[in-house]
Amino acid sequence: MTNAISIENLSISYRVNIDTKKSLKNLVMRASKGEKVRTRVIEAVKNLNLEVPHGTALGIIGANGAGKSTLMRAIAGILPPTEGRITVDGNISTLLALGIGFNQALSGRDNIILGGLAAGLTKEQITAKVDEIAAFADLPAGFLDLPVRTYSAGMYSRIAFSVSVAMTPDILLIDEALATGDAAFKEKSLNRMKDLMGEARTIVIVSHAMGTISELCHKVAWLHQGKLIAFGPAKEVCNKYLEFLSVGKVPVALEDF
Amino acid sequence: MPIQVFEPHRAKLPPLAPYLKEVWRRRAFAMELARYSEKAEYLGSRLGAIWLVLNPLFLALVYFLLVTVIQGGKTNGFVTLAHILTGLFTFYLAQNCINAGAQSITSGGRLILNQAFPRTLLPLSSAISAVRQFAPTIPVYIAIIVVAKWVAPSTELPGWTWSFFFLPIIWLAVMVTSFGIALFFATFNVYFRDTSKLLTYIMRIWLYASPVLWLPEMLHGWHRSILYANPLGPVLAANAEIWINGHSPTAAQWWGILGWAFGAIALGGYVFTSRERNFAVQI
Repeated sequence: MTNAISIENLSISYRVNIDTKKSLKNLVMRASKGEKVRTRVIEAVKNLNLEVPHGTALGIIGANGAGKSTLMRAIAGILPPTEGRITVDGNISTLLALGIGFNQALSGRDNIILGGLAAGLTKEQITAKVDEIAAFADLPAGFLDLPVRTYSAGMYSRIAFSVSVAMTPDILLIDEALATGDAAFKEKSLNRMKDLMGEARTIVIVSHAMGTISELCHKVAWLHQGKLIAFGPAKEVCNKYLEFLSVGKVPVALEDF
Repeated sequence: MPIQVFEPHRAKLPPLAPYLKEVWRRRAFAMELARYSEKAEYLGSRLGAIWLVLNPLFLALVYFLLVTVIQGGKTNGFVTLAHILTGLFTFYLAQNCINAGAQSITSGGRLILNQAFPRTLLPLSSAISAVRQFAPTIPVYIAIIVVAKWVAPSTELPGWTWSFFFLPIIWLAVMVTSFGIALFFATFNVYFRDTSKLLTYIMRIWLYASPVLWLPEMLHGWHRSILYANPLGPVLAANAEIWINGHSPTAAQWWGILGWAFGAIALGGYVFTSRERNFAVQI
């Protein structure tokens, strides 16, 4: 198999409640008034086909609500497809939601261990890696053994990012909007991702930073309202997207892609 | 390298053998999660461990007074107190397991959105945590019962008997049954977020319906079916049989225990695992 990820006719839709929280109380209250709970089906991803060969860095771009995060979670096996299928070849490591089950009362060190175990490492593996991860996160002196609730947002995401890249995954899925380190840490993260690519690992990254995307990625997929609008070389697709942002209209010629 | 295929599914079981294998592979995660959440909880309190012993002890006293008042002072004195004490502390194992397990999915939201893993690991971790909190209190209660017999030889309590060796089986059964029930409520709590509030009332009623404040012998004729309709009924009856009467559990009790343990784990396991792939959508 040459593809790290193949996606065939993928559609994902889910039902959301419009006006109330999901609770037994609401259900009973509404039933007593003879009302039904109003729901709406959201089609997050529509009939998407995509093939990502091993060793590719794929960037995913698009406006908010384009279905980027949903697609990423589906590739990670977190969200089930509604239709179609996804085949993934290799170990996956993810950074899709910040605070990887991070317990606020525990120290950064404890959270690294928990994060690694959650990602499927054995206790020996993660214990051996703790120092390496801590060194990469490079927190200000003394913070590693303080409770995570004393951390700044940046320090928090440094830990999360460091854990996800330390897994030496075959496939790394990163929602880059979350990786909000400072300039120096951004540089370091980019280098680490380049290293991973050098080892023929696959990276899929969601980002709004066109600079990062065109520097790092070979290919870019542009999603708009759940549909794949364009897929191709990074520069080309990024330019089309930037053009769209200034014009505000999806190019008709690309819609059938 | 593992090849994984993700396809649509309607509510149905995942392939069981790979699923259980994955749970087993990641068992360290459930263990450590239990250990670390305890660490987080007790950070500010050195009295944590002592509290675990004192809490059922105080409550047993309160319930003992209550029962004494209701029955117009005609209780069996210390035997009643001992029965309430041993019943409550066993019931608490179940209650902790069910309460924490029921909330484990909704409170693990970010973990669930970030990683794909068998979701049973989260309620399992709560169950492990409940057992870890329960285990150190066992010697204290055994000591209380044995010392009570030694101090007051005239009570009807049996004191130390060999039937105490059945207790580990009883506790295992309580754990398995309540883990199954926790799986059921954890699923329910994902779809209806106020389930955990409702659960506080359910657990309270459940306690009153269980042979903790009353002795199983108080039920006669068809009323005995109440005992067996309660998932924790047979196991708590057997518990009282061992602690208070000094006998080994009866055959009917063993069958009830086995039936509910397997029933709860099968039903809870089915409800949970057939829907767990939908949890990320709901959270």
